[in-house]
Amino acid sequence: MTATATRPQGAAPPATGGKRAPKRERQGAAWVFLSPWVLGAAVLTLLPMAVSLYLSFTDYDMFDAPQWIGFRNYTQMFTEDPRYWRSVVTTLTYVVIAVPLQLAMALAVAIALKSVKRGKGFYRSAFYAPSLLGASMSIALVWRAIFNDGGSVDNLLSGMGIDIGGWINKPGWAILSVALLTIWQFGAPMVIFLAGLQQIPVELYEAAAVDGASWWRQFRSITIPMLSPVLFFNLVLQMIQAFQVFTPAFAVSAGKGGPADSTLVYTLYLYDRGFTASHMGYASAMAWVLLLAIGVVTAVLFRTSRAWVFYANDTNEGGR
Amino acid sequence: MRGNRTKASCALALVLTLAGTLTGCGGDGGGGSGGKVSLRFTWWGNPDRAARTEEAVKLFEKRHPDIDISTSFAGFDTYKAKLATQAAGGDAPDVMQLDYRQINQYATSGILLNLGEHPELRTSEIDKGLLATGVVDGKQYALPVARGTETMAYDATLWRKAGVPEPTLTWTWNDWAEAMRKLAASPATKGRVGSTDPGQSEDVFEIWLRGQGKSLYTKDARLGFTADDLTRYWEWCTKLRKEGAVSSAEQTTQMDGTVENTPLGRLKSVADFNWDAPVSGYSAIVGEGLKMAPFPVGEDGTPGQYFKPSMFFGASAKTGHPKQAAQFIDFLLNDKEAGAILGASRGIPANDAIRQGVLPKLEGFDQVISTYQKQFEGKLKDPPPAPPKGDTSLQGTFSRDYDQVSYERLSPREAAENYITEAKAELRQ
Repeated sequence: MTATATRPQGAAPPATGGKRAPKRERQGAAWVFLSPWVLGAAVLTLLPMAVSLYLSFTDYDMFDAPQWIGFRNYTQMFTEDPRYWRSVVTTLTYVVIAVPLQLAMALAVAIALKSVKRGKGFYRSAFYAPSLLGASMSIALVWRAIFNDGGSVDNLLSGMGIDIGGWINKPGWAILSVALLTIWQFGAPMVIFLAGLQQIPVELYEAAAVDGASWWRQFRSITIPMLSPVLFFNLVLQMIQAFQVFTPAFAVSAGKGGPADSTLVYTLYLYDRGFTASHMGYASAMAWVLLLAIGVVTAVLFRTSRAWVFYANDTNEGGR
Repeated sequence: MRGNRTKASCALALVLTLAGTLTGCGGDGGGGSGGKVSLRFTWWGNPDRAARTEEAVKLFEKRHPDIDISTSFAGFDTYKAKLATQAAGGDAPDVMQLDYRQINQYATSGILLNLGEHPELRTSEIDKGLLATGVVDGKQYALPVARGTETMAYDATLWRKAGVPEPTLTWTWNDWAEAMRKLAASPATKGRVGSTDPGQSEDVFEIWLRGQGKSLYTKDARLGFTADDLTRYWEWCTKLRKEGAVSSAEQTTQMDGTVENTPLGRLKSVADFNWDAPVSGYSAIVGEGLKMAPFPVGEDGTPGQYFKPSMFFGASAKTGHPKQAAQFIDFLLNDKEAGAILGASRGIPANDAIRQGVLPKLEGFDQVISTYQKQFEGKLKDPPPAPPKGDTSLQGTFSRDYDQVSYERLSPREAAENYITEAKAELRQ
């Protein structure tokens, strides 16, 4: 899933322009080069999507043929399933905790790394590595072990007199340990922040320093506004990913979303309905509701962005 | 310019990421190898079973150099979900270990091969009663591997030190509860509780019910108990938990189907309910003192415990090599050497000849299991009919609903009502 997020930069359509070759000829070449991607998108994404949409209107147990039941899955989800709503609340809690903390971490580390002169490459890879490893099941399992009762985090804390007795077996703490696992994987937004930071003209800081602006003042009045498009980009992407959190919750709770459903995030409940309870139709309906919900939240973010995202070319000297 | 491009790629990224929501991850492709027939064999179990299975597989490959077996195993919960997905995708493993609860569904959905049509697979030595449990619509879709029954595993050393009378064949649930209280209170157990909270286990609930002459399901595939029965059970468990006689919610919730993560496996309790075959897994942790006791009986002496086929082997209807798959199953079930290697790692063998051969040679814990089973012969009630289609997810629902009780989010009554509602929906009543 994370792979798709990195694809767009490469696949972004070229800016319009160029008038030499006849249009049709250029399009032909474009399609040839695009064909592997288009084929992949059609077979691996669009087709499954269509099937999933169809299944969401059926009762399908994976063994017998799907039976058309209209909107029954959707009405059941909204009106008769308390665990569905519990999973919605859990996911929102997770998003609200994890996304801001992860972005704050990413930005803080990016700022720290920007001024590092020696060993830049080393530090960057060191901070990026968790993002590569962290999404894997094995790290999530290690997480489960160290936050378990008797695990190293628990032992360390009880050594300091804070006796929790394990995080993953306490409803209030379990979701926190899941969030911590995500926050730790701030590598991707960090690299993007780092790129953004390096594009801010140094003159702005120099001018501010001459005027006697404090570090905090410079951060608030120069860094944040100049960085706002990047911040917005990171926010949208991380939020979309956070809504789809699965692996850490699955591993920490051994696939059950426990204790007492406290880590039953949306996709985990979806997985449970589909693969454990064999209600594929219901699971598909859940997936479509998630898609719509993320779409709506993203649209809202785009709306509010007009108020706080500042593009350099909105004023005058954009570009290089 | 830069701003627009950021916006454009942001929008594109959004579309792609959203698309990812719906499709999830892909599966793994199958593979063939040059000249050799290769079979996939999957099963659930623990590391002990894994070691013995690998050894048996190696022997089979040595005898059949043209057949290559690749194995994989997982804990039961994971295995169940993975197998269902593979089966639905038409990619079921060539040979698979199956649970009683899967037979009906898999056979009627055309996933299993009719093994009755394969003469390479001999069934003459397999216990007739057990053999019949793998028959659906008159066809032998699966073969029982072994016979199993439930047990209470306990640390007899601690039990004795605590001065609690040892379990007998006729102890009742009240005797059991009293023993758990005494164990938990004894200084000899150093802060351990008596047992794992039995409230989360549908299997224990079933035996408790049967001790009262009831059952999980009736013969016509309806629920065999009411919300009142379940409320009574969960209230009883809750009382014991609050007294500290059984494990706390924090301990119980860490169970994930492996022996290692049970309270007894984590050395937080003195006893635990389980099936007999996996109990050997405790012996590495608990040590010499590990013993097996019968389940308690109902207050009027009705036993709830029963013998059931512990697991089955079946083959995929879509396998490219049905003959070799049948040969392999035949080897696992009927070969003397294989029987000696596998021992009782999947339960006491269902094959009479193998069982006779294996029993005297059983060592350590397998011997314990076989003597354990012997004491019940002729004393237990009939096993329940195979669970109806639709019950597969109810075990999980059961422990989840009880989680809500043990974390005090719901009362036993509320949780029981929830369970009954979902069970009726799953069984389409």
